[in-house]
Amino acid sequence: MHPNEGKWNMSHLSPERLAALADEEPTAAELAHLGGCADCAAERDAHRGLVDLASAERASIGLPLTHWESLAPALRAERLIARPAVGLAAISGGRHGRHWLQVAAALLFVAGGTVIGRVTAGAAPLPGLPVATPALMAAASDSQGVAFQSVADARAARDRAQLVYQNASAFLAQNDTAVHGIESPSSMRTRLAALDQVSHAMRQALNDAPYDPVINDYYLTTLGQREATLRQLNTALPAGMRVNSF
Amino acid sequence: MSDEHATIRRAIQGDEAAMRALWARHAPRIDMVVRRLAGPDHDTAQDIAQEVWIQIFRALPTYRGDSQFATWAHRIAVNRTLNALRRTRRLAKIEVDMEDDAVAVTPDTDRTFVMASIEQAAAQLSPGARTVFLLHDVEGYTHEEIAAELGITAGGSKSQLFKARAKLRKLLAHLVDAPERREVEHVAPVS
Repeated sequence: MHPNEGKWNMSHLSPERLAALADEEPTAAELAHLGGCADCAAERDAHRGLVDLASAERASIGLPLTHWESLAPALRAERLIARPAVGLAAISGGRHGRHWLQVAAALLFVAGGTVIGRVTAGAAPLPGLPVATPALMAAASDSQGVAFQSVADARAARDRAQLVYQNASAFLAQNDTAVHGIESPSSMRTRLAALDQVSHAMRQALNDAPYDPVINDYYLTTLGQREATLRQLNTALPAGMRVNSF
Repeated sequence: MSDEHATIRRAIQGDEAAMRALWARHAPRIDMVVRRLAGPDHDTAQDIAQEVWIQIFRALPTYRGDSQFATWAHRIAVNRTLNALRRTRRLAKIEVDMEDDAVAVTPDTDRTFVMASIEQAAAQLSPGARTVFLLHDVEGYTHEEIAAELGITAGGSKSQLFKARAKLRKLLAHLVDAPERREVEHVAPVS
């Protein structure tokens, strides 16, 4: 901290001038002073560090505040949407589409295999979820009988399910005290770090296929899980510390 | 023609799939800008974000392609958010209200918490100073652009920024001080 914080001394630069020098050129007199005053030089460096931290925030991302399901009706009301979505083919074309669909299919296969493996071993399909009961299995079986009339119907159902899943995850993260008793802040931070890596990989994939809907969906789901974990972590952190976003 | 330009062209024609693709691609960043500027009130931020996206699609036919779509949309997001906040009178008073007994933010070195610490500390600034800090140091606006957005002078913007930084520097000492200085302060804090 500045040695004369709160007690302005003419032998040092003022805190606000040092804040300005984070990205402004010093005058000749200021430059000479900074050359001979370690305290003021360290203060200027601290301000530069602050500016660097703030500009790094520019690149940060988060789960969207908006949902397409609520945005689309508003856009339709304004007649901005003329043609409804007709499915993946509408936007997944191009040389990357097939490749990423194959990657997504492989990811689904691996994830599905993991879930099946856990269930057949008598465990919950995912850590933190309840073990499948006969009632749950029956409900799942019933839902498998749903027949979609069109690609648009299936897509809308998938979007609704995704939204419900994200909202349920967020609700459970804040209210499921049974899980809080098992998970430590440390394990949640480990999960956050893993989700950071996944979202980083997804962002790189999006650079190759920016408008691939499958990659975009996975990306948004990953961000949703990060947000849910952050909310969960908030309930486990000491009083006075809160994580709002990242 | 790039994927993005083709998608934008279809979105201008009202193709929902293309519009959704643009939203899915850019919402994580655009909505984050809204979230930062709007502050901790989630409902307000959500309403503003919806408004921002409607405005982006309304204005899409005016997008000339001479800048990145993300940059163009970012400008709309900032402008629309500030307008919305003005309506709610949250920017009625552009001044720095410094409190000497500001509470320091809990230290942590994890990057996630670094960003959260900045948000928490910025929340302790007055709305005007917070907005100037966010626009300049986070969003990369010049003082002239900030002056035009907020209806203040460029000099006023600078003054607000430097006061805001001086306060944030105190609140975020644990993040920006060199380790040896932190150690010295821990042993003999300077009043």
